[in-house]
Amino acid sequence: MVSRILIANRGEIALRILRACRTLGIEAVVAYSEADRESLPAMLADEAICIGPADARRSYLSAPAIISAALVTGCDAIHPGYGFLSEDDAFADAVRAHGLTFIGPPADVLDKFASKAEVRRLLAAHGLPTVPGSGLLADEEQALAEAALIGYPVLLKPSAGGGGKGMRMVRSPRELTAVLPICRSEARAAFGDDSLYLEKWLEDNRHVEVQVAVDKYGHGVHLWERDCSIQRRHQKILEESPSPAMSAAGRKELAERAIKAVVAAGYENVGTLEFLVDGEGNAYFIEINCRIQVEHPVTEMLTGIDLVATQIRIAAGEPLGFTQEDVPQRGHAIEFRINAEDPAHDFRPGAGTIERFNAPGGPGVRFDSHAYVGYDVPPYYDSLLGKLIVWAPTREGAIARGSAALSELLVEGVTTNIAIHKALLVSEPFLNGKFTTNLLDRIGSAAFLAAAERPG
Amino acid sequence: MPPQNQTGDAAAERATVRTSAERAADHAALARLADTLVPALVGKLGAGSLGEIEIREDGWAVRVRRFAPGAGRRASDRVADRPRHAGMPGHTGPHAPHAPAPAPAAEPVATPDGPVQTAALAPVVGVFRPGLTVGARVRAGDRIAVVDLLGIPQDVVAPVDGTLVEILAQAGDGVEYGQAVAVIEAAAPKPAPAADEEN
Repeated sequence: MVSRILIANRGEIALRILRACRTLGIEAVVAYSEADRESLPAMLADEAICIGPADARRSYLSAPAIISAALVTGCDAIHPGYGFLSEDDAFADAVRAHGLTFIGPPADVLDKFASKAEVRRLLAAHGLPTVPGSGLLADEEQALAEAALIGYPVLLKPSAGGGGKGMRMVRSPRELTAVLPICRSEARAAFGDDSLYLEKWLEDNRHVEVQVAVDKYGHGVHLWERDCSIQRRHQKILEESPSPAMSAAGRKELAERAIKAVVAAGYENVGTLEFLVDGEGNAYFIEINCRIQVEHPVTEMLTGIDLVATQIRIAAGEPLGFTQEDVPQRGHAIEFRINAEDPAHDFRPGAGTIERFNAPGGPGVRFDSHAYVGYDVPPYYDSLLGKLIVWAPTREGAIARGSAALSELLVEGVTTNIAIHKALLVSEPFLNGKFTTNLLDRIGSAAFLAAAERPG
Repeated sequence: MPPQNQTGDAAAERATVRTSAERAADHAALARLADTLVPALVGKLGAGSLGEIEIREDGWAVRVRRFAPGAGRRASDRVADRPRHAGMPGHTGPHAPHAPAPAPAAEPVATPDGPVQTAALAPVVGVFRPGLTVGARVRAGDRIAVVDLLGIPQDVVAPVDGTLVEILAQAGDGVEYGQAVAVIEAAAPKPAPAADEEN
């Protein structure tokens, strides 16, 4: 039973969780840092409590401050959102030890699914194909031997962390020898864990992920896939479903294998399995995200299922309450991440005051954002300002609605990446659905923008 | 003897009238202080809830005092220090070295023609427990109350020298980070030079 939730996050996801709480009749307290005092979620919550200074290490990443805030505000559960402490098993364990419910997988499940190298092994054992790769690399000698076995080019990856941080593509033994110590120290600095492993580098691939939801009683469903191949330096900027790269039979098979494997491996709550899909439509499992994801609204638009509410109900011990047959895949949905960053200047993040603002609307249009006129975008956190999600019966229809909505979206005072989305919607590779994760990086975002501006 | 700092001067003065055996004993005592006692005291201070520890022994006195509220208290950080945070938006790297936690800053409020009042702020979110009572004279940095952070007391310190004139929270109240929990009225301005001459 959950009746009052502390939202230990900020920005659009704090607002999204607040909305889910309201629909479930659950009270919501927003925990905020000093830099977010004037933020929309802090202002709209039933109660808001300051947990620390702007520095996330002493606020959004401080487990004692967050748990203490939940206790003094009389909450019985904590929702971590994404990022920050959302996949930290020690945090989940501490939350439980203080008699509170952690909205997410239990600590032992998080622990089991924490090491990417381990999870690859675990899910491969339960029938998921994985990219040819190594175990954790002990030393240079082993790294060279494993790389030779896999075949160059290889991708050197940190076992901890995520979001594409700290990965290096390596083309030769000499290069591997050179970057190994650099990657190790980078991984140690970023994640406090310098474990590295190797994966086969798939030159032209797509990033497709499968959304799953599994209750405490081992009943699980998949909620189809999302195609997140539009990226810039491994950071997703546009997601859609269904994937234009997969056949109906291919996506059904992938989703069914994914849910079967995670249920068998003991996963619990909502989660996402990420796959690389090659030119022939072969999917290889790469990692699992044990939390709600930024792009979850794509799936919500397609299935009509509230994923955040589902996440809360599962954590509260409720049975899922629906079966695979209740999960439709209707029409087509696209999400555009609206970031406060400048695509004309290497996506430099921007901070400042929003002077003018208009959120788009109309049929099939959803805009999840914490932005408002007068809002000071703080410089301390990520640049995500909002997410525009559009739905239509067909991909063409969704693109048309996306285009109309982007032209209505007005943000003045901070620079945004809206231009790159407009450019994508008129680019040939995007329109015909034939693109891979290096679409933007291959020609460069600046060139991409320039090409979109030329008539014809 | 070359000029030294104040402490050195005092020690040097004593040493000049002592025998070499006494000097050797002093050196041994100094070495013991530096190598054993001070680290032990610092450790004790860091682990516990005290703001200050003083040890007197023979002719020596060692006082170790916590410099900033919260600094050195890491007992409950264990859970926050674990790796494996997803690199999603918001992630700022939890493993950067911890700097000593600065206290939230208080803004002094001057009442018209009256004394300057400054709020003492809660250093963390937690449960308030009063310490000193209204009327107590305090020096800047003195502990005047604590906020329990999951059972670990964190000092609410006086931001300025003065008198505790008001306590704004009740025992057992939940307080947020940076909340004003007490008011210190600054000590009267230092007597002017003219006043000194009268003494």
